[in-house]
Amino acid sequence: MSKLKLNGVSKAYGATLALRRGDLEVMSGEVHVLMGSNGSGKSTLCKIIAGAVRPDAGKILIDDTPVTITGPRSARAQGIGIFYQELSLAAHRTVEENISLAALPVKSGVFVDRTALKERAARYILLFENVAGEGFSADALVGNLRPDQRQLVEIMKALASEAPLLIFDEPTSALDRAQVDRFFEILRDLKSRGRGIIFISHRMDEIKAIGDRVTIIRDGETIATLNLAETDAATVIRLMVGGAGDMPASQSSAPAAVDGKDGAALTVRGLSGRGFRNVSFEVARGEILGFGGLHGQGQSALLRAIFGAGSITAGEVLIGESRFDASSPRDAIRRGCAYVSGDRGRDGVISGRPIIENVTPIHYLRHRLMIARPRKLRDKVTPALESMHTKFASLFHPISSLSGGNQQKVIIARWLIDRPDVLLLDDPTKGIDLSAKADLFTLIRQLAAQGLGIVLYSSEDAELLGNANRILVFNGGSVTRELTGADRTRYNLYQAAYEAA
Amino acid sequence: MAETATIPRPRREGRIRKLLERYPFLPALVIVAALLALNGFFSPASLSYRALTGLLSTYMALILLSIAQTYVVYAGDIDLSAGAILSLVNVAIIVLMERWGGGAGAVLLALAIGLLLGLACGLVNGLVVAALRLQAIVATFATSIFFTGLALYILPVAGTPAPAIFWRTYGGRLFGVPFVFYVLAALIVLITVMSRTRLVTQLLAVGDDQQAAYQSGLPVIPVRIKGYVLCGLFSALAAFCITGDTASGDPLVGGKMTLYSVAAVVLGGSALSGGWGTVVGSLLGALTIGLINSVVFFMGTPSEWQNFVQGLAILVVLMAGVLAGRRARP
Repeated sequence: MSKLKLNGVSKAYGATLALRRGDLEVMSGEVHVLMGSNGSGKSTLCKIIAGAVRPDAGKILIDDTPVTITGPRSARAQGIGIFYQELSLAAHRTVEENISLAALPVKSGVFVDRTALKERAARYILLFENVAGEGFSADALVGNLRPDQRQLVEIMKALASEAPLLIFDEPTSALDRAQVDRFFEILRDLKSRGRGIIFISHRMDEIKAIGDRVTIIRDGETIATLNLAETDAATVIRLMVGGAGDMPASQSSAPAAVDGKDGAALTVRGLSGRGFRNVSFEVARGEILGFGGLHGQGQSALLRAIFGAGSITAGEVLIGESRFDASSPRDAIRRGCAYVSGDRGRDGVISGRPIIENVTPIHYLRHRLMIARPRKLRDKVTPALESMHTKFASLFHPISSLSGGNQQKVIIARWLIDRPDVLLLDDPTKGIDLSAKADLFTLIRQLAAQGLGIVLYSSEDAELLGNANRILVFNGGSVTRELTGADRTRYNLYQAAYEAA
Repeated sequence: MAETATIPRPRREGRIRKLLERYPFLPALVIVAALLALNGFFSPASLSYRALTGLLSTYMALILLSIAQTYVVYAGDIDLSAGAILSLVNVAIIVLMERWGGGAGAVLLALAIGLLLGLACGLVNGLVVAALRLQAIVATFATSIFFTGLALYILPVAGTPAPAIFWRTYGGRLFGVPFVFYVLAALIVLITVMSRTRLVTQLLAVGDDQQAAYQSGLPVIPVRIKGYVLCGLFSALAAFCITGDTASGDPLVGGKMTLYSVAAVVLGGSALSGGWGTVVGSLLGALTIGLINSVVFFMGTPSEWQNFVQGLAILVVLMAGVLAGRRARP
């Protein structure tokens, strides 16, 4: 029996299509796996079903009846429970309060029924008895728990909805083996009781172990649904990659090797810190080194740590010949290291201020300027902006008047007035349009040609393959594979990323 | 050697942290005790039964206003109109009591209307901030001007006296015990009951992470509106106390108290960003402010320096509280 059916569901954020066309059918008593690369639309699809995102078009049917889901509350009322990838927990509330947060048991109409709350929590905590780890209890504050324990709370919270349809968006990313095994036992039990389950994971072995069928999403479109018993990992990856998966990256735009005679721009030896461990690599002057792998495998944490914005517990960093251990971003900037984040809102844009103020802060910092002289600055700012074909009405318009792509160009331009030696790019093209991307990468290649050492982390594999001279694939906080020369293919990149850690 | 020396330390810090986690208002309690001691040092008479009763009846309004503020701060919001609601209710009940003759029945009826007025003001704030999604700071600043306008319309100049029966009760004794102590006892019962309600847990969850609360299926907008309504109700209660204490109506009496209430919330260990705090802490925070003012007075500070010393003392206490409270937050 069909539990849930999606027909042609789509969602766009401004100009970006997050989900082009989602078709999906989940049966009662099945674990239905969703697979797709970073940003292919899996999470958007799940959030649409759970009511956290309103779709632009398409039909949703539950038990063969068309329904409208107006929000998370309405989704719950219609029997949908969800595990959010980014978790939906209140850090200062206890485990038991979080488990029942959406439907706190009440007595006398207004008071929290603590007894019922404890009983209900105990039921779900018992499911993970002996694997939850030290310090896990019903009255512990969620904020004091380890990441894997928090993930368990989110699982319990989803289970406590007792919904006929359960969605698990990457529920196992922080769990250890024993916890995953226990979780799978629970899933099998739910399956046998006729629940429909949607499951997302990037670990091939887990998908094989628990899944019945798999639906593959590529570029916001559901491509195919297969029976997992009748298929193998290679087929699945090939479908995710698309037809041209075995074609090597375009060699013309990214030569396989860089003449290293000018020496290393950036050397990292045995670097460990929060989110990454024992990473070593070298970037030659004029080289673009790519960081690949799934989201959140330590790439951003490493780049931020090098830039002095994260923690380093061991290892060393060298720029050129001299030791470079930036204690703060200010220190890193003064010594010629640049960092551009894809999260413009948080790390880049000075919102509400004019473009000129957004282009010049680095210049001010490096030259210790005290007084703003717009006329003089204009001569320095204009070439930097023009080198990327930035479109703007005047330097004194607010930065918010620009599109996302042009904002990012302004952010990059601020590093071009005084050339840095090393440029760290942390998923710089997140949410910007295609022509801006093209301008950006043209510039990045030019900068490399001028002798900068560039590290490029991108969540889009095409960008890595098109621009990086070498690619390091991250998995679980360390480098698991280095792709060079003709090995730099989409297929290899996917395979390395999806290998069980 | 170094290793053995460092092992017991995290355990002890863990215990302090656990204690602070369970009773986040402990630093505020210590500060109140210290200030009481200081008061006693400069003027032993200031710790007398009579002096403490006076302190309590003067600062009961601020205590209630700080509690009112706490409920909106729980949800990560703020109410800059709490003091204006207090003024509005103050002048409204004064005028009503006078019109209706000042008997016991008239007083009780006026108080009921005052509560309804507080509720209505809170509802307006809630609708403006949560339903219309305006910035809480600016929106409640605007409603505060609006409420002050209404108060000035009802009573253009300060001065109309409260009926004797009202302020004599508030300032008097019942069975030999000063009336404010009954108020305090009732208040403690009330906030204990409140702390067990589902609404308070929901307010804290919304303040913790609004997006997460929404995605979990909490009715975020109604919860925030109810927080403002609660704030309006407690502001009305605060107005009753100020009316009892000053025995007159003043359309501008609460204006200065709003930011004191915010300060009391922070002094009590609550996070202005929401999701973390206690009402008891705010009560102690309001007492802290009262005691600072009293210490400054008893120290014999020249009058032109009193504000200066008060401000400095609040800063110092705030710093001490923040340093202690920071450890408790997960």
